[in-house]
Formats: sequence, structure tokens, C-alpha cells
Amino acid sequence: MSRKCEFLVVGGGIAGVSCAESLAIYRPNASILLLTESSIVKSVTNLVPVARYLHKFDVREQDVSEMGASFQTLVDRLDHINSREHCIRTKAGLEIKYRYLCLCTGGTPKLFSGKVVNPLVIGIRDTDSVQLLQRKLATAKDVLILGNGGIASELAYELKDVNVHWVVKDSHISATFVDPGAAEFFHIAMNECNAKDSSPVVAIKRMRYSEVLPKEQTNNHGAALGPDWHRSVDLSGAREGEENRLPKIYYKSRISSVQDLADDAGAIVKLEHEDGSFQQLTCDFIVSATGVWPNTDYTCDSPLQFSDDGGISVDEMMRTNLVDVFAAGDVCTANWPAAMHWFQMRLWTQARQMGSMAGRSMAAASEGESVYQDFCFELFGHVTKLFGYPVVLLGRFNGQDLGRDYEILVRCTRNKEYIKFVLQNGRLRGAMLIGNTDLAETCENLILNGIDLEPYGDDILNPDIDIEDYFD
Amino acid sequence: MVVRPYNDELRYLEKVSDHCWRIKKGFQPNMNVEGCFYVNSRLERLMLEELKNSCRPGAVGGFLPGVKQIANVAALPGIVGRSIGLPDIHSGYGFAIGNMAAFDMNDPLSVVSPGGVGFDINCGVRLLRTNLYEKDVQPVKEQLAQSLFDHIPVGVGSKGIIPMNARDLEEALEMGMDWSLREGYVWAEDKEHCEEYGRMLNADPAKVSMRAKKRGLPQLGTLGAGNHYAEIQVVDEIYDKWSASKMGIEEKGQVVVMIHSGSRGFGHQVATDALVQMEKAMKRDKIETNDRQLACARINSVEGQDYLKAMAAAANFAWVNRSSMTFLTRQAFAKMFNTTPDDLDMHVIYDVSHNIAKVENHMVDGKERKLLVHRKGSTRAFPPHHPLIPVDYQLTGQPVLVGGTMGTCSYVLTGTEQGMQETFGSTCHGAGRALSRAKSRRNLDYKDVLDKLDQLGIAIRVASPKLVMEEAPESYKDVTDVVDTCHAAGISKKCIKMRPIAVIKG
Repeated sequence: MSRKCEFLVVGGGIAGVSCAESLAIYRPNASILLLTESSIVKSVTNLVPVARYLHKFDVREQDVSEMGASFQTLVDRLDHINSREHCIRTKAGLEIKYRYLCLCTGGTPKLFSGKVVNPLVIGIRDTDSVQLLQRKLATAKDVLILGNGGIASELAYELKDVNVHWVVKDSHISATFVDPGAAEFFHIAMNECNAKDSSPVVAIKRMRYSEVLPKEQTNNHGAALGPDWHRSVDLSGAREGEENRLPKIYYKSRISSVQDLADDAGAIVKLEHEDGSFQQLTCDFIVSATGVWPNTDYTCDSPLQFSDDGGISVDEMMRTNLVDVFAAGDVCTANWPAAMHWFQMRLWTQARQMGSMAGRSMAAASEGESVYQDFCFELFGHVTKLFGYPVVLLGRFNGQDLGRDYEILVRCTRNKEYIKFVLQNGRLRGAMLIGNTDLAETCENLILNGIDLEPYGDDILNPDIDIEDYFD
Repeated sequence: MVVRPYNDELRYLEKVSDHCWRIKKGFQPNMNVEGCFYVNSRLERLMLEELKNSCRPGAVGGFLPGVKQIANVAALPGIVGRSIGLPDIHSGYGFAIGNMAAFDMNDPLSVVSPGGVGFDINCGVRLLRTNLYEKDVQPVKEQLAQSLFDHIPVGVGSKGIIPMNARDLEEALEMGMDWSLREGYVWAEDKEHCEEYGRMLNADPAKVSMRAKKRGLPQLGTLGAGNHYAEIQVVDEIYDKWSASKMGIEEKGQVVVMIHSGSRGFGHQVATDALVQMEKAMKRDKIETNDRQLACARINSVEGQDYLKAMAAAANFAWVNRSSMTFLTRQAFAKMFNTTPDDLDMHVIYDVSHNIAKVENHMVDGKERKLLVHRKGSTRAFPPHHPLIPVDYQLTGQPVLVGGTMGTCSYVLTGTEQGMQETFGSTCHGAGRALSRAKSRRNLDYKDVLDKLDQLGIAIRVASPKLVMEEAPESYKDVTDVVDTCHAAGISKKCIKMRPIAVIKG
């Protein structure tokens, strides 16, 4: 059996779908095939510009059969790439000839237990794993969350009717995104606002699709979750009716061992703290949310070039070392000279940007045109929600790679906003905006323009001055 | 900046009429001409309060009050007439937003300053009319707004309405609306109703940096955030029935669409690149200004010419942008009402530029002179019979489109002979904000977060309020106050008022 197409995109996550969608825009008459492991694919909807180069978006989970006719989809898995012959083989044995190939095979959750499968440890990654979480949660009284990134922070905030034990390796929460000051801001807000109980029911603006369950339980090969994954999922445990308690946080700690109890009664976890002391606690199960490894569980006739972190190395046009093979999203590692204010983080936003870029680049290659690298790679930008607050991260928001050669300017209003400017030689190099600050676009321009802010001193964040239109 | 007690400062200001104040030489050092500003009683209070606050010792640091900025502009080489502050003036980078100034092209020392144009080059407003009425649109306005939003592309290029590759972009930068016309996205008559016919002929894409092009490309055909928006509006009041009918506005309730957008990141990069070049040129040519932000170069220097050519390319970029949105708007309306844009009479009433520098002829001291007119947050408002306005408006004067802030009312004014004489044919551009306007009372609280931040080992500064306001000032410059002032001062004339029924944010 064999098929043929001009553009073949592998992976039904945000990167893959963004790639296929931009191909459909630039080359509406070309044959485009999206190979996806699950019949549910993710696409970006409800794109809202937060600033000029920064977008907030929802991710829509959609059955492949519902996708428009702009490109074709096929549910199967990649097994082998024959780059010399320009064709691939799928697990089901199908041969697909392509002219241009894009690998968007995402990542697999890093589990602290390594590759060993432990039924008491779940990695949150895709729709299937959320359903598993839900099932386990329904009878659980104590849950241990390991990790300090976006998903761990969201879970710690969203889980209800259950005791949450949150184990983080750092000395403050949400360290992937925020500094210790902002973590303290959240900490105070969690205690004082008790937002967990009073959080209003938020209408989801986007169109809702009924969740289509995968026909069979494939072992965590679905596409990654979208940023709003927890909204449509009931995350309540078995302590209904009891007073809701705040998550208990274990700083600078790691799991040293896990001992399963008999009769599915959970596990005894031994934590090791940084000072060398140990602590034991019992929980029903463990959620491991400590990031992802690039997922490349297929073979290739010629060696693909990988970066140190295990990702497929790509250049600024999202090309791999193999001719006519591109890669985008979590599976790849940016291997071009990075712009002053950009760095790679495996996030939804970058998956979408890389996917679109790969699509544009492939379309250009097929037409013999030259395109510029998208400007979004000039400035790191991420929008998320942590502990109920909107969070915008721009540039080197935590002084990344600036050593100690920078200063920070902060404005903080308890339970309302936390604004941090990272300044170097009077120039804005990065910003962290928590709360409804309306400063995203201004900061974006200040960073990109490199305007000297020295003359304004601390007044650039003077609460009595609005700087939004000053730089118009 | 000269720091004097408030009462001493006031000696340099003189109220010359109900709506105009004079700023005398000496208010700031080296003023070549006088300054002036237009206000009504409420705006006057805001203007003076802002000055008063800046007179407190160590008050507002790097943010100068608008009236000081007007005076600093008056000290630039080659300025003629007066440095003029319009009623919506507020503090901005270099020039205040709402400040216009003209420079003699025949004076070899005259300068061009990017701060006098602004970062969002050719930010402007376009107004489309329809023959629909509120009762037609009201029931479907949500769907209509939604479909406008659906059709206005976000992010990547979309289906050919906008230039997508490097070559397309170069052509669009050179051709402005002629590019949109060639590609079939606008009507030939749209051009007639644009300043400069939607194309600045001196545009040279070769003078635009690669970074600017890269920064601009993904944004073509997009609205943008912040102040950029499209609105479906209905005519709320007609002040000048005859002029309004020349614009195709017959009665109250008629539906129009306002599009507010500019060159966005592209313009920002062009301005930023020029500022860097001009700082060098200033050293070489020994040009001194009162404020470092007023970086400028002689009009005839390489830097001055390069900037004007790049600025023109950015202006063309903005027109292509507004044209793409015009196309999308027409499509959305036609689809919703199951007809054609033609049958809906969806003509462009006019398209104005707010942030731009142009070569124009004006009378100065009784003689006609060729001037480089900087308008930042200011709209050209030429009087009836002026050769540069379209045939349709020869008798009414040029339409001036004034957008409020999103969600408030907007106006159409017309240019007047008095404006031509007093303000080089310029008027206001919209609502404005005074320097100090705290959105809400903020109770700053740092103790706990600072304790935690200390562990980073980084120098930390904290923002703090320095102005002690006796009362929370309502310092917003409302568009109605602004427009009424322009009308009363005679520098433009009220014609139509519109109110929004649906807003489309970028």
C-alpha cells in the first residue's frame, strides 16, 4: 500500500496542525497530509493579540473528521523515514511518498522514575493522561505533585476536594516562569484571597466540541494538551464536603523512593530535602509534571542531527540536516544564532510559532521563494494564567543569561499586580507582568526598540503615570 | 529643563483668547519662535495642573509636561511660525502627542525629527460609509463584528490579501495603495479620498532596515492591540447638513465603519533606526537641542533624507494595512447582507494620517514658503478650495476624522481657512490623556516580595508614586472637549458625530 503527497506533516499537536494550516493558506492547491497518532488533533482558535507579537489563544480539540477540507488527515504512526527516497513507512505498514516532510512528534513526559512504568505515577501530557488522572482522583484523598512548571502550578491550584502535596526542587513555586518575588506574590494571594473557593465560573468563549474519546487506549501517544485543558475536566478528589486546604509545599525537595502499599492503597513516598534530611508521606498517587523529552521513537535511513537536549536540531527556517525534512515544536531544538531577546522553551506558544514558520518555510521552498524568519523569534513572549492571574512573560524576564549584570525595577500591589522590569544599561531586556497591567505592548516595543530608559528612572513604573501611549 | 517655581513659570504663559494660550520665548532656553496651545476651561486646568506638578522639586523625572515639550520644539533649528499644541496634547517621546511644527525647507539648517512624527508612523483613521441604517445592523451587529474579526487575519499571512513574501513587501512599501489597487483589493476611487492618494512618492524601501521589514511583515493586514480598533458606528448628530451630504451622510442613524490602524512595529523600527543615525549626525553637525529625545538631522543631510524616504515607506505600509482591512470589511458586510459592497455604497469617506511629516506650501509672514510640516497626534485639516483636497470636498473643506477612545463617540470635522492661517492647516486627532492619570488607587506593598527577591543578588529598585495628589485628578482629555475646543477656536468645524454600536479589537 502506498500514498503520495507534496507536504507530509507528522504529529497532531499544536505544532503539526499549525504547520498544516499555514501550508493550506500558502499553498491552497497542494496535497497536504497530516499523520496523527490520535484521532483527536489540536488546533489553535480564539487567537487574541495581547501585544503586537504576542498572542493568547485557546486550543481546540477536534476530531480529525471535523477538520475542514483544507488538508487531509490519516490516523497512524510514523515508523521509519527514508529520506533519500523521500518516503516514510507507518506502523501499519503504509508507504507515503512526500516532497517535503515536517516532523512535529512532540515530547513525552519526563518521569522521575525514568522509563520504568509505575501505575502510581502519572505524567500529565495528553487527553488520555488527563482521563487517567480524573479516574484516580475520584477516589483519592492525598495527591503528590512533582514539578515546578506550568502544569504543576495549574494542578496545585485547580485540584479540589483533595490534599495536595506539592514537591518542588526550587526554593520557590512556579520557578519555570517566575522569580521568588512573584512566587511570594502568588503565595500571599493564595492565602488571602482564597481564590480557589471564590473563583468565578469562567465562560469559555471558544466553541466547544464534545470530547471524542479515542477508540482504543493507545499508550500516551496522543498529542499534547492545550493551555486550557483543565477547564473542561472535573478535577475533584474524594474529600468532598471537607474544608478545602491550600496545597502543602515542600521546597528544595526531591523524591528519593516510592514504596507501593498493598491493595492499591497508594504509596509511601520518601522525600529528600536539600539539607540532607528525609521525610515520609503517604499519598494515593503521584503526578509527575517535570517537563518533556523530545519524542523521536522512529528510525531514519540517515542519521538525524540531534542537539544535546535530545531534540532534532533545526536552523532558522526549521530545516533539519536532512534534505527536505523539517521539524517543529517540542521535538526540535533551535540551533540558529538566537536573537538577543529570544530563547527556546517547550511551550504551546513556541510550538505554534515553530509550526507556522515550518509551514511558511516549506511553502517557500516548494515555490523557490525566499522568506524572512518570522519576527516572533526575535522576542520571547508567553502568556499564561497562574493561580488565577494573567501572566505575560517577555524577553529575558528572569534575567536569563544576563548573569548578575542587570537590575530589576518592581511595582507590586498586594493581590492585584506584580510588574517586574529587567533593565541592563538603562535598556529594558525583559518584563514579567502579572495581573491586568495593560503594559504588554508597550514593553514589547520598549524591548525591541532598545530605548534608553535611564532618563525616566524609577518613574517608568510610577503608578501615577500611564506610559502606554507615550511611545506612540 | 529650567526649573522655576510655578508662579514664575506662569509669567511666560499668556491667555490670548478664550481658547488659545501663548508660550513666550524664555519659557525654555533657545526658543526660536513662540509656542501656543488650544484649550477650553477644563483642558486649561489639566494643562496648568500638569505644569504645576512638574514644578515640585524632583517631581516627575524624565516625563516633561506637554507645555514644556511644546517650548522645547520651538527651540529646534529652522522652525517657523509657532510650535503648536492642539487640545488633545499629552506627553510623548520628544514631541508631545498633539504637537505640530513646521520647518523652512529653504533654510539649510532646518531639521527633521523622528520624535515629531512618532513611532507608529502614519497611524491614522479611515471612515467607510454604508447606505444601511441602525435598524438594519442592530439585530446582526454581533454576528457582523464577529465576522469582521474572523476576516481580519491574525498572525500569519492570509490568503493573499496582504503581501506575504519579501518581494511583495518591497513592492507594497514602494507603491502604497497602488499596490492594493493592482492586486484588486481596493476601488480606484478609494485613492481619491486618501491624503497623498495613499502613496508617498518618495518612499524608498532600500532605506528601510531588514529588521524593520521582518518586524512589519507578519503584521500587515492586522489591527493591532492597544489603540487600534475597528468600530461599527451610527451617525448620532449632524451639525453641517450640507457638508455631510457631500460625504454621503444623509441622516441620523446611518451606519459607518471606522478603521484605526498604523504601521505598527514597522514604523517603530524605522523610527528607532533613524534615532540612532541622527544622534551621530547631531554630533557631526553640532546640532543642540533642549531634550535628547528631540534627536534630529538637517533635512538635506543624508540621515534626514534617508529618514524621510523610510518614513514614506512606513506611511505606504500603513495605507496598505488600512486598505486590506477595508477589503475585509466590505466583504463581511456584503456577505452578511447578501449583496455587493457596491450596492451597499461602501465608499471611503476619507482617510487621515496622524503621525507624519509632509512637504507643504504655507503662507508665513505674508510670503508663500515651502515647509516640512511635522504632525504628531495631529490631523491635516485643509480649507475649501485647497488644491490638495479631492474634487468632492473642494467646497466643504477636507474631512477630518477624529476617533475617541475605543467605545466613546467619534467626530467628522472639516478644515477651515482660519486653521490654515493659524495652525498650518492642522487640528486635533482624538482623545488624549494628561501625564498623570492613575487608573486606580494602588496600594503599593513590597515588603514580602522584596525579602524574597533579595536572594537573587541583583540590584532592585521599586516604583513609587511621587506626586502627592490633593485629589485624584480626572485628567482624561475627553474627545468632546477636544473637538468643541477646535470648533470654538475656529481651526476646524464640526460636521458629524458618531457613536459606536460594535467594537472590533485587534
